[in-house]
Amino acid sequence: MSKSTNVSKSFHKILAHFFPFMISYSATFNHQSMVLPEQEHLVYNIRLSSVGPGRVTGSDVVHDLSGLDIAMKLHYLKGVYFFTDQAVEGLTIRQMKETMFYWLNDYYITCGRIRRTESGRPYIKCNDCGIRFVEGVCDKTIDEWLELGDDSLHNLLVYHRAIGPELSFSPSVYLQVTRFKCGGISLGMSWAHILGDAFSASEFINNWGRYMARLKSNGPLTLPKSLDNKIEKPHDPNQFVKEPLSAKQVNPVGDLWIAANNCKMETFSFYLSTLHLSSLQEKILGEDGRKRISPFSSVCAVIWQCIAKVREGFEPQIVTVCRKYPNYDNNVLSNSQIISAIKADFSVMEADLKKLALLMADDQGLDERNKIEAAVEKDDGVTDYIMYGTNLTFVNLEDANLYELELKGQKPKFAYYSIQGVGDEGAVLFLPGPPKGSNTENEGKLVTITLPEDQVLKLKTELQRTGLLPTELE
Amino acid sequence: MPPILPDFCNSVKLKYVKLGYQYLVNHILTLTLIPVMAGIVIELLRLGPEEIVNLWNSLHFDLVQILCSCFFIIFTATVYFMSKPRSIYLVDYACYKPPVTCRVPFATFMEHSRLNLINNPKSVEFQMRILERSGLGEETCLPPAIHYIPPTPTMEAARGEAEIVIFSAMDSLFKKTGLKPKDIDILIVNCSLFSPTPSLSAMVINKYKLRSNIKSFNLSGMGCSAGLISIDLARDLLQAHPNSNAVVISTEIITPNYYKGNERAMLLPNCLFRMGGAAILLSNHHSERWRAKYRLVHVVRTHKGADDKAYRCVFEEEDKESKVGISLSKDLMAIAGEALKSNITTIGPLVLPASEQLLFLLTLIGRKIFNPKWKPYIPDFKQAFEHFCIHAGGRAVIDELQKNLQLSAEHVEASRMTLHRFGNTSSSSLWYEMSYLEAKGRMKKGDRIWQIAFGSGFKCNSAVWKCNRTIKVQTDGPWADCIDRYPVHIPEVVKL
Repeated sequence: MSKSTNVSKSFHKILAHFFPFMISYSATFNHQSMVLPEQEHLVYNIRLSSVGPGRVTGSDVVHDLSGLDIAMKLHYLKGVYFFTDQAVEGLTIRQMKETMFYWLNDYYITCGRIRRTESGRPYIKCNDCGIRFVEGVCDKTIDEWLELGDDSLHNLLVYHRAIGPELSFSPSVYLQVTRFKCGGISLGMSWAHILGDAFSASEFINNWGRYMARLKSNGPLTLPKSLDNKIEKPHDPNQFVKEPLSAKQVNPVGDLWIAANNCKMETFSFYLSTLHLSSLQEKILGEDGRKRISPFSSVCAVIWQCIAKVREGFEPQIVTVCRKYPNYDNNVLSNSQIISAIKADFSVMEADLKKLALLMADDQGLDERNKIEAAVEKDDGVTDYIMYGTNLTFVNLEDANLYELELKGQKPKFAYYSIQGVGDEGAVLFLPGPPKGSNTENEGKLVTITLPEDQVLKLKTELQRTGLLPTELE
Repeated sequence: MPPILPDFCNSVKLKYVKLGYQYLVNHILTLTLIPVMAGIVIELLRLGPEEIVNLWNSLHFDLVQILCSCFFIIFTATVYFMSKPRSIYLVDYACYKPPVTCRVPFATFMEHSRLNLINNPKSVEFQMRILERSGLGEETCLPPAIHYIPPTPTMEAARGEAEIVIFSAMDSLFKKTGLKPKDIDILIVNCSLFSPTPSLSAMVINKYKLRSNIKSFNLSGMGCSAGLISIDLARDLLQAHPNSNAVVISTEIITPNYYKGNERAMLLPNCLFRMGGAAILLSNHHSERWRAKYRLVHVVRTHKGADDKAYRCVFEEEDKESKVGISLSKDLMAIAGEALKSNITTIGPLVLPASEQLLFLLTLIGRKIFNPKWKPYIPDFKQAFEHFCIHAGGRAVIDELQKNLQLSAEHVEASRMTLHRFGNTSSSSLWYEMSYLEAKGRMKKGDRIWQIAFGSGFKCNSAVWKCNRTIKVQTDGPWADCIDRYPVHIPEVVKL
């Protein structure tokens, strides 16, 4: 182990030792989107408790993790949902918690804790320990908060701790409910990617909404069949020889599951209206192309080219694209999203945008899931990998049903997702925008970009030049 | 000779001899009366009818003599019936069932411990060892304030817990018995560690708008045996007041008493004490004898407080960091054994059949006169009682009593299962155990039940009940949804 990792490890140990009392994020290279000390007081009265399944799952119930799950262990999803006061009128914390005891009966896996087998392979012991429930208060109204425009502030609404150093005492899921001055709330969820991808995480929290609305009730306890969430095994053994392009090994992190970055990462986001998107499509593809290529592909192509321009000389030739698995089973938590590696054999900086966009279409790229699975299984899940940020990663969360979490029949005013633990190459998330009226086609898209902080300003200028980013940020 | 006897006891033949001896001694009166009656009948037959009539006529009865005799008989009968203690009936009782939202699995308890005692991993290890061997299950409950990291035991939260527990139990009791709040004449609430002003009994009177001339009592500080102390108090009051209803509420409020320090002797209660409460309706109305479940036969209270060691064995005090907790001394089991012996010595003559008492007397005389080395005879209480409810204070207590009283696993099943499902709910645990026996359908008319509770002080209290009518398995009660899963096998050490 190199000296720097030794130092950072001991620093992590110190950090973890005081973690219950920390509500601020310290400025280290290992935390993205740092919150300034003077902003920390914006959310206060933090109270922690646990909620778990109301039903006893049983002793010795274990959930085995697949190779893909283990590959994602250093990544975490952070989602925030904002609800106006009409959606939560009369709703108390106690009522929310009570519903959770029934909801978590279905998701007892999220309430378990990570253990290691004798060989060091992580698995989940379903011991009903629970998820962490955090309460907070903010003196701003939701509108004031959203106007602040700083994405890193959302971190104050999502209580997040990495898993470790004591694996058996680290929750995989944190839920934070923050009350705002206007009476509305934000629901912040920190989700360990080892449990499942963003589609699973979104379905998980959407089901809570259904339990709140009494649209769902518990069925009988069904214990997992361990191979349920495994994808089909590949037939070609030659596939295993090569290492995957979209995931790479990192230095061993031991029992503290934090992905190390060589530089500080920063996240910013911007909104693209449907009008903006259609004009962009026209510009890139002309009249006919629009039908064959999605807005996702065209937006990502523009961003890819801009980043290539910013990183002159080191332009990303390979990118990773993640999107929903078409046969996704929404009753099971899994890392089933399609992870494809896309190679550009030409200069990205000077390429025709149409060509780039075509390259990123749904049917292009190599599905690397089996390769990643095989790479991890080679040494039985002991090696540490990262996926997001190995290459510049584009994640399509359009179909993640982010706005299906409803309280009192009302959709969230705004939903925002980000990834914690993105590698140095950066990641772009393509999220659905807030619904405007009942017609979902009117919604625009929200794009969030996580990059090393020294590239952010230059990228913003590039994006403004291409017209993707409006000159006045929203 | 004494060491050889135990071997003989195992043989079957001696078992029949024992049975024969017991039958002989227990029914000695009947057995002596039969030959006497037979003798009289034979004598009468011998005399013949005319002789009997002559004998009758020779007795001269005067009017005055007849009147005096009648008056004397009536007077004696009246004095007898007036001085007979009133029968105290337990009409019904209700136990509080905590909601699933208060559930604390082992893993959650350990994780919270780890986070709360972050600077003391040794104390956390200690708690883990205790929990593994505690005999508790995964469904025991703690109040909402204790679920926070760190716990937030405000007075408001404590009152909240008291309200939820007591009012739920009371509502359930009203529903079961059809009792009207205005008919409650005596109210006794016992809660050892939470004693606000106004008292919990005042809280109950306020909530249910009870009568202004109610006799209310609030017992605090009396430990886990306070439930039986309240029953004793209710009994004395019901002797003094005819045709009255008494409601006894036994509970322990956990919220204000969660120990926040790291002294090992004081961490034990955190691991064992859980939410629970019971409300019991006692009555001396003659009309209740048809629907009452039980009749109170004896209450025996033993207090060992005069001994300094016993007095200090369960002691609430501040630790080195000025954090208040209840310290349990290492000789707790030994003192409990002593207190139990005292209690048994008093209760034995009241409940044991004559055969056992005779044996005990003989061995006692033998030890005093012949050979002090003779093993003291432990009376077989299984002959005096059908059911045993041992306060679920902890696995060690139940094991100790099972050994001392030579009880089988089935006898202590109610106590062990209550400890597993509800934890140590302090004074109300006896009622959860009774409820278990009823839910299993084991209560038949005429069954005798012995409730034993230990408490700080050090006290050992017993109550003896007699089942008044066979109790049908009910669909409500704290065991309703889980009785089918019981009894469970509780491993010696649970793997966490």
